[in-house]
Amino acid sequence: MTELAKTPLYDAHVALGGKIVPFAGYAMPVQYTAGVLKEYHCVRGDGAGLFDISHMGQVRVNGSQALAFLQYATSNNVAALDDGQVQYSALLNSDGTFIDDITTYKITDDHYYLCINAANRHKDVAHLQALAASYDVSVVDESDRTTLLALQGQQAQACLQPLTGTPLDDIAYYHFAACTLDCGGQSVAAVISRTGYTGEDGFELYLPNEAAAAVWDALLAAGAQPIGLAARDMLRTEMGYALYGHEISDTVTPVEARLMWITKLDKGDFLGREAVLARREAGAKQALLALKLTGRGIPRQGYRVLAGDMAVGEVTSGQHSPLAGAGIALAYVEPAYADSDRLAIEIRCKAAAAERTDLPFVRSRVRRNK
Amino acid sequence: MTIPANLKYTKDHEWVRIDGEEAEFGVTDHAQEAIGDVVFVELPEVGQRVTAGESFAVIESSKAASDVYAPVSGEIIAINEALEDAPQLINEDPYGKGWIARIREVGDEHQELMDAETYGVFLQE
Repeated sequence: MTELAKTPLYDAHVALGGKIVPFAGYAMPVQYTAGVLKEYHCVRGDGAGLFDISHMGQVRVNGSQALAFLQYATSNNVAALDDGQVQYSALLNSDGTFIDDITTYKITDDHYYLCINAANRHKDVAHLQALAASYDVSVVDESDRTTLLALQGQQAQACLQPLTGTPLDDIAYYHFAACTLDCGGQSVAAVISRTGYTGEDGFELYLPNEAAAAVWDALLAAGAQPIGLAARDMLRTEMGYALYGHEISDTVTPVEARLMWITKLDKGDFLGREAVLARREAGAKQALLALKLTGRGIPRQGYRVLAGDMAVGEVTSGQHSPLAGAGIALAYVEPAYADSDRLAIEIRCKAAAAERTDLPFVRSRVRRNK
Repeated sequence: MTIPANLKYTKDHEWVRIDGEEAEFGVTDHAQEAIGDVVFVELPEVGQRVTAGESFAVIESSKAASDVYAPVSGEIIAINEALEDAPQLINEDPYGKGWIARIREVGDEHQELMDAETYGVFLQE
């Protein structure tokens, strides 16, 4: 077994009673002493939750052809971005399937920053560097020097604002700013974006590793609670946010994954475009559904979806939703059964009736105005 | 970590309270701690016969589903219906309000279960 990587905050997690588990090659806290449900309610309620998500990767893209390069390498329309804006996007294979889902940060016309999934980091970087050979652009993996924190919840801004002179009100949803944080006399250069993976208002903070502990401690001192991976998964599943290896993978295209809104077929050529176009014409191979159990039980990834007594699909993410008060699932089913009113999820050999529902499962409170 | 002296224990971290021909059981403090916040318990049915070592209930946390194995054989005569609406009782009071089921016609299999002291040593190993 290969040694698990540790983020700069590993010791802080252990000191806080974090239960450490392997995740994407990293030793990460799945929960702290408060427990998953208290952590969940802190973020969904009226608190501020602090997540170490430093396992995620960061790639800097710089050069005179950076825009042209990213227009070809990513599915969304990078030309539509303003300086200081963030965009949800994807890296696609030539067959239209997902290499990864990413966020693109536009700094200037020739300078961008990508946030990528930990498990896909080396694959993504190799892919991007190979594509970059045809462009005047440099692609640099900055993951190992970067700490990424997420501060999420209704109190996120109140916790963070005292640490910086930058008016956080000026950072709109899916925008970012370079800020200076004052953490106990230490001055820290940070990139702060109003983004997240919880459906709550909040921020993600990109920091140099040397400053990780100071910023972490300052935010806890300001009242934020540490939140582990288990609550994070509960929060993101309630929003229906896709997770690589679950809803998206190298076997589905944006047509199946309901991610055509980040796939801009009319922006010009990009890697995977022809295949996605063809798939859209031919029709999705599977339909991604949001299902809610009408009775008791908790769906899990890999459980079969039934229509009557026929297996017609599989759960990709399943959770207990405290707010919905029910088991919830994202699942791929054969398109012909997408509108069936006899859908159920097979839980330990028994059919648990499920109904189709809209996403998100619970109301999002991200701040879209401004 | 609590390990009451008057109970018997399995290697799968269930506890048993022997009461003549009847037995009550649940999962240990160690088990509830390892499972994390319990969000759902799938209970067996009254009247169902269980064999020692057989999975007869499932405890679900936000992370995963964990099987609960019958510590002894017998017929289920009562289940803790309070767990349907308050699954967290397993976390809050694993040896008391968090009991899972009672069975009768208990044989002498329980002689082979661990006592509190042995279970305590088992946890250390």
